Amino acid sequence: MNSLDVDLVIWLNGLSGKVAIFDDLMRLVASDYLIPLVFSLCMLALWLSGRTPAERAKYQLATLVGISALAISNVAVWLINISWDRPRPFVDHGDQLNLLFYPPTDPSFPANPVAIGFAAAAAAWSVNRKFGWWMFAVSGLYGFSRLYAGVFYPTDIIGGAVVGVAVFGFTRYLRRFLEPLVTTFVRLMRGLSVA
Amino acid sequence: MNTDPLVVRDVFASHYFLLAFLASLGTIQVAVTISGARGLWLTPHRTVTRWLGIALIITGFLIFFAQPLWIEGPWAAGSVEADSASREWGQADWSDLGAARNVNDIHGGLDGTRQAIWFPLSVLLAFAISALVGALNLRIFKAPVGMAARPGNDEGEIGGLTGLAHRSYFSNLKVSWRIFRSDVAEVWRSGLASADRWSVFKVISERSRK
Repeated sequence: MNSLDVDLVIWLNGLSGKVAIFDDLMRLVASDYLIPLVFSLCMLALWLSGRTPAERAKYQLATLVGISALAISNVAVWLINISWDRPRPFVDHGDQLNLLFYPPTDPSFPANPVAIGFAAAAAAWSVNRKFGWWMFAVSGLYGFSRLYAGVFYPTDIIGGAVVGVAVFGFTRYLRRFLEPLVTTFVRLMRGLSVA
Repeated sequence: MNTDPLVVRDVFASHYFLLAFLASLGTIQVAVTISGARGLWLTPHRTVTRWLGIALIITGFLIFFAQPLWIEGPWAAGSVEADSASREWGQADWSDLGAARNVNDIHGGLDGTRQAIWFPLSVLLAFAISALVGALNLRIFKAPVGMAARPGNDEGEIGGLTGLAHRSYFSNLKVSWRIFRSDVAEVWRSGLASADRWSVFKVISERSRK
């Protein structure tokens, strides 16, 4: 499995250097600012875009769960990181990789950006399938760009996706322990004319 | 990196704030044209407002990622190399542009926590501007209110974003707050009654009753 993981990242990263514009595009997609901000904007859009009060309330609760899942994903990734410090691909196979991104210093498994993306996408998907699928696709592209850049193994990406979706499920479950606080918070936001 | 990370961070923070502000202003505009909250529209017309929102989002990203071409930062010589430690201060050229913004947070890039601080601040500013311009729009143009936007036509809801369909943010705030104050006790009580039996608040309230 580990060998397949290494082979895949070397093969995918080996495609770089052939089409300069595609490499630049992947560098852009892998950026810390493009896709993470797109996720944040999607959460903002979800909060505001319900067409009826009932739909809006549903979207807003999903947004709150999504934002919480995003934060909890970070904690989950950190917990996994302290129990398993997997070196990045460029650390063990630097001579075979063409690094397209700066070398991150944190452990490789699971992919934190993917975990966050999948947590947010799962929240959107739970209330709006079409929007959610788009967000999953963007999260997948984000993971692919980091894989192509040589900073993650494929299993890191899969691990990140699983962590993100699992944390979303856990956060949704957690909500029942915090009601009616969450619903009242949405009402407070409505009282402030922002929900 | 040949530059102080704190200086780099200041550059990134100001550029990121502009990006987040423009993109969130655009997102708010697109979203409120869907929900019909006219009190937050930047123009009196739905379609124009929506396209303006899309243009603002694109402009925000274009400015942010193209800025290294004309603003000096940690993206000059060496930025084509992946390691941001090898970079010089200066302007990037076209061939470096794709990677120019890829600066490790230990070298001054913005980490997730800092982005999580700057993003909500930019959203607040974008919302405030939408509310101000939306209020001016309603006052100047006295935009006609559609059937769906009329109070009483929307499941009895007149506060919150629904109220913004026919009021400015500022006049809607008074109404929404009054509704919240009159409803909050009942919302809490009914929420508590329908909450899961393991709800922290339900457990506490049942314990205190005993």
